[in-house]
Amino acid sequence: MILFFQITLYIWMTLVILAAFLWAPLAGGLGEYTRIFYFHVPVAWLAVLSFLISAVYSLRYIRSRQIKTDLVAEAANRLGLIFAFLATVSGSIWAKVSWGAFWNWDPRETSIFILLLIYAAYFALRSALDQPERKAMLSSVYSILAFVTVPFFVFIIPRIYASLHPDPLINPQGKIHLEVRMLITFISSLAGFTALYFWILVRNINLIELKLNLRKTEK
Amino acid sequence: MAPLYIVLVVVVFIWSGIFGYMLHLDRQIRSLRENQKKIAQAGVKLK
Repeated sequence: MILFFQITLYIWMTLVILAAFLWAPLAGGLGEYTRIFYFHVPVAWLAVLSFLISAVYSLRYIRSRQIKTDLVAEAANRLGLIFAFLATVSGSIWAKVSWGAFWNWDPRETSIFILLLIYAAYFALRSALDQPERKAMLSSVYSILAFVTVPFFVFIIPRIYASLHPDPLINPQGKIHLEVRMLITFISSLAGFTALYFWILVRNINLIELKLNLRKTEK
Repeated sequence: MAPLYIVLVVVVFIWSGIFGYMLHLDRQIRSLRENQKKIAQAGVKLK
């Protein structure tokens, strides 16, 4: 079953890459750089999804006090930070060719930068605490509070201030203005990346279970 | 640099980040499984 999922995902993502480069049309004004959209946006979406999953598991830890839920929240935050970093770097490469500089302190760049700092502080907090229960409790509370800022930084602030960033997929009128082939490629990419994300998260949970089992046997 | 090359750089960067992390994860899991196996074998010998 797992092998079937892996092979399907492999074929799916190959088709997405081929569609992004060979099938989907280019947007006027962006030219070849349109293709970045099929990879940069899903990666940014995974960062938000990851931070949400982390907040949910942090809440579960506060309710159940099971150390495994805190470790899953930590793994989700790590994944979120990795995807946010990938989105930032890929975005800044695009900014260089499009706007002339890698970094312009555009509202979207500034908000993702603050978000990166907020979630990097989560790991600083964890590494500063020794006692496992205290570490888990404080970082769970921090993770939930950090997630409260995510909608503001990702969805609200970039829409309030004038930005050089291309219009978000769902524009202020609440409509999607995308050519059908572009939309199909984009949704396929989003679905593929999301499936890949859950695969990585499950691998992380496997790793956590192994670590906890080892800890038990060592005791 | 031609636009298509820049797009390729971005795509390769994203995918290498994801695969790099997955490889790191797999290596950790494999090493922990080996440790678990060693502990189990040591336990059997002690018995």
